[in-house]
Amino acid sequence: MPVAQTAAIAVRRPRTPASAAIGFGLIWLFLIVFVLYPLTRIFYDAFSNDVGQLTLANFYEFFTDRYYLRSLWNSLVLGVATVVATSVIGIAVAFLIVRFEFPGRNLFSYLSMLPMILPPLVGVLGFVFILGRAGTVNVLLMDWFDMLHPVNFMYGTHGVLLVETLHLFPFMTLSILDSLSKVDPSLEEAAQVVGANGWRRFRDVTLPLTTPGYVSGALLVFIWTFADFVTPLVVGVQDLLAVQAYLNIVQFVDRRIFRMGIVISALLVVLAIVFVLVARHYVAIKDYSSLAYSKVERRQLGPIARWLAVGFLALLMLVSLLPQAGVVLAAVGKGWSLTPLPEHYTLDHFRQVSVETPRFIINSLLYSGLAVLICLVVGVPMAWIMARTRTPGRGTMDALTTLILAIPGTAIGIAYIRAFHYPLPGIDVALTSMWIVLPLVLAVRRLPYTVRSSYSSLLLVHKSMEEAAENVGAGKLATFRDITAPLMWKGILVGAIFSFIMSIQEASATLFLTLGGWEMIPFGIFSYYIAGSHSQAAALGVILIALCAASLYTVNRIAGTRVGGLFG
Amino acid sequence: MRIAVENVTKRFGALAAVSDVSLSVGEGEMFTLLGPSGCGKTTLLRLLAGFYNADEGEIRFGDRVVNDVPPHERGIGMVFQNYALWPHMTVSENISYGLKLRKVSSSDAAVRVKEVLARVGLTGLGGRYPGQLSGGQQQRVALARALVLNPQMLLLDEPLSNLDAKIRVQVRSEIRKLQKELGITAVYVTHDQEEALAMSDRIAVFNLGRVCQVGPPKALYERPANRFVADFIGINNLVEGTVRSAEGAVLQAETAFGVLSAIHDATLRAGDRCVICVRPENIALNGQSGGERNHFRGRISFAAYLGNTLRYDVDLGAGVTFKTDVGDPWDHEQIPMGTTVELSCAVGSTLAIPAG
Repeated sequence: MPVAQTAAIAVRRPRTPASAAIGFGLIWLFLIVFVLYPLTRIFYDAFSNDVGQLTLANFYEFFTDRYYLRSLWNSLVLGVATVVATSVIGIAVAFLIVRFEFPGRNLFSYLSMLPMILPPLVGVLGFVFILGRAGTVNVLLMDWFDMLHPVNFMYGTHGVLLVETLHLFPFMTLSILDSLSKVDPSLEEAAQVVGANGWRRFRDVTLPLTTPGYVSGALLVFIWTFADFVTPLVVGVQDLLAVQAYLNIVQFVDRRIFRMGIVISALLVVLAIVFVLVARHYVAIKDYSSLAYSKVERRQLGPIARWLAVGFLALLMLVSLLPQAGVVLAAVGKGWSLTPLPEHYTLDHFRQVSVETPRFIINSLLYSGLAVLICLVVGVPMAWIMARTRTPGRGTMDALTTLILAIPGTAIGIAYIRAFHYPLPGIDVALTSMWIVLPLVLAVRRLPYTVRSSYSSLLLVHKSMEEAAENVGAGKLATFRDITAPLMWKGILVGAIFSFIMSIQEASATLFLTLGGWEMIPFGIFSYYIAGSHSQAAALGVILIALCAASLYTVNRIAGTRVGGLFG
Repeated sequence: MRIAVENVTKRFGALAAVSDVSLSVGEGEMFTLLGPSGCGKTTLLRLLAGFYNADEGEIRFGDRVVNDVPPHERGIGMVFQNYALWPHMTVSENISYGLKLRKVSSSDAAVRVKEVLARVGLTGLGGRYPGQLSGGQQQRVALARALVLNPQMLLLDEPLSNLDAKIRVQVRSEIRKLQKELGITAVYVTHDQEEALAMSDRIAVFNLGRVCQVGPPKALYERPANRFVADFIGINNLVEGTVRSAEGAVLQAETAFGVLSAIHDATLRAGDRCVICVRPENIALNGQSGGERNHFRGRISFAAYLGNTLRYDVDLGAGVTFKTDVGDPWDHEQIPMGTTVELSCAVGSTLAIPAG
C-alpha cells in the first residue's frame, strides 16, 4: 500500500488530544513488544553464544555444515521450482479467464480460487490418501497392471513440489488476474500497429505488463514454500531449511542444536526480507500504472481451443480438489486399507475428535476469534492513522505491515519462544506458559490483512465526505457513526473474516507454541497423523474445511464479491 | 498517401457508431475528426487503423482497399490518447521495438532512434523509462515511436487530452510543424474545437455517427452548414426565424425580436424555417455604424471579464439572450447590469442556415 497515496487524502494535521496520543502510544507499544522485540531477539540469539557474547560462530557452524548447506540449497531449488510450476499454471489460468470466452468460464474462475482457501495441511493428507503408497491410485494401478511396487508419487521433494504447486497456483492466478485486467488495451494495440502479433505480442508486451502482479504472486509462493515445514514432514522430507528449523527447535534436548534452529529461523527472516526488497526494487523502477480507458475485450475461443481450455481447467480442478475428497473418504472410512475406496463407513472418527475431545474445535474458535478481535483493535486504528493523519512514523507502520507479511510463521513461532519464555514481572509466569500467546501470535500474523482491508475501505470514504458532514453540524462522533462507519464496515468485516479463516488454518507459528490443552485443529491433525491415527486426522480435516467454507460463505454473502480482492 | 472512406458503417450491437460515412483525405493533409464524445470519430479512426472491421463500405489507402488488411500492414503510425508507452521498456526500446520486429540491425536501429528522438526534441532521454518522463515528454516519445517506422500516414487519437493547458498548446504546434515538415498525411481525432481549428487543413465535424460538415477551419467557423456545427464550433448566438423573402445573397427573416437581414447559401426559400447565427465578436454595442446593419435593443444581464475581451449577456426579450464581445476592454468602462443597450451587427456577418 503506497504511502504516497495517503498524502493526497490526509489533508490536515489533526489536533492531538491526550487520548489520541495515548492510543497512538499503545499501538506502537504493541508493535514494538509483539513484532520488533521478538525479531530482534532471534537475531540476538543467532549472533551470540551461551554466555551472551556476540559471535559469528553460529553462522560459521551453519555454513560449514554440509547437511545444512544442502538443506539451504534444496529449499532454494524447491522454492524456485514451485514458482516456475505455479507460474505456468497460474498464468495459463489467468489468461484463459481474463482474455477468453468459453463455456463455464465464470464457474472455473470461482473454482480455481478454492484450493487457496482450503487448509493446506488437509490438502497434504488428502494427497497421501489418494496418491500415497497405499493410496487409491496405487491400489488401482497395482490391481490393473499387476505391479509389484507402488509408484512413489508423494514421498520426496517431488511430492512437496506437487502439493505446494496445487495449493499455491491460485495465488499466482489471482495476482496476475489483477494486473492483467488493468492492462490498457491501447498498449497492446500499439504493439499491433508496429507488427507484434500473436505469441510475440504476448511475450514482449502483455506478459511483461503483468510484472507487478506476477512479482508479488511469485514472492508469496516462494516464501510460503521456503518456510513450510509441515508438508515436507508429512511426505517424509527432512533436508529442507524450514524442516531443520522445526526439528532443531522441538527436540529441546541439545542446546547447541536448539541454537542452530534459531540461526536457521534468523536466516529465513533475512532471506524473506531480501527477497521482498529485491522484488520491490525490481518493480519500482518502472511505473506500471497507466490510464486505462477501457478493457480488452474477451475473445471467443474456436471450437477445438474451447474444449482444450475446458479440459485443461477441469483436469486441474479435479487434481487440486481430489485430495479434499480423499480426506472426506478417510474420515468416514472404517479400516480403509488396500482398497481403492473404503469398504465400510462410520461417523465414529468425527465423534472421537469432537464429542470425546472437543478441545480442538473449542480452542480453534476461541483463539481465532480472539485473534480477530486483537487484529481489529490494533489494525483499524493503524489503518486510520495511515489514511487520515500525517503522524510521523506512518511510513514505518506501513513497512512493518509488509514485513509481517513476508516473515515466515516458522520464524515468528521461534521468535516468540525465545522472546517470551521469561517470567513476566509481577505474575511470575512466562507469556509462553499462558494460552493467550496463541491468539497473540495469530493476531500478529494476520494483522496486515486487517490493516490493508480497513485502509482501502477508508480510502473509499473520501475525507471530504466527512468534512461535508461536519459542515452541516455533525460532531466528530456523529460523523464517524453516520458517515464513516456505514461506508467502511463491510470492508473491515470481510477483512476480519478472512483473517479468521487464515488463523484457523494456521499451522506454522502455533505448532511451536502449543502446550498441552491448547491444541487447535491443525495441531490435532498434525499430531494424529504423525502418531498414525490417519482417520482421526482426516475427520478433523473435514471439520476444518467445513468451518472455512462456512466463513467463506459469510464473506461472500456480505461482500457480494470474490474474496480474491483482498489479496490485491 | 490519400485516404478514401466510402459509405462506411460500423455497428456495435444495434447501435451504429459510424453510419454511412464518406470522406477523402488528401496527400500530406492534416485532417481532423471533430465532435463530442460518442459521436463516432474515434470509431472511424480505429477503422482506419484496422482495430475494427467495417460492417459496410470501403476504405482505401491510395488505390489499395484495406478493409481486410491487419493494422501492421497498413503503413500507419498511431499515437494514442494515453500514450500507450510500454512501461517495462526504456524510451529507446519503445521506439525501436517495431524496428526489431522488422529485423533492422541494431546499429541501424540505434541511428534511426537517435534521429527521431532529435526530431521530437528528446535527445539524450533514450535510456529513461516512460514513468520517469513528464506527460509532454511521454507524448513526444509516442510520436517518435509512431514516426520511426516511416509510416505513410499518422493517426492521432486525442493525443493532447491528458496534457496541461500550456503544454497542450506547445505540443500541438510541434505536432503540426513536424507533420508539415514530413509532408505526412495525418488524421487527428479531438473533441476540442479550438485545437481542431488551430491544427487542421480540413475538419470533419461528427455528430451521432454521421459527418455534419467537412471543410477548412475558416469555412466551418464562418459558414457553418447546419445548426449543430454553428453551435459546436466557437461561440455563437442563435435565434430561430422564418424566411420572409430571399432574393440573391441576402434574405429577410422574421424572428422573436424583429426582422433581420442575413446572408445565406441560396438554399432557403420564403416560408422556410431558419436559424440566424451571429458571433459575439461581430455584434457591436451602442451606436456603431457602417454598411448595412441589423439593429436590436436589450438589457445587460451578465458580464464576464476574460482579460482580452469583456463578454456581455444581453437579454433581448422573448427568452433570447445574445452574447456580445468588447475586444480589448483596456479602456472600456463596464456597463452596469440592467442598462438598456443598442446592439448592431453587419448583415455580412449575419448568417442564415436551415433549421433542424
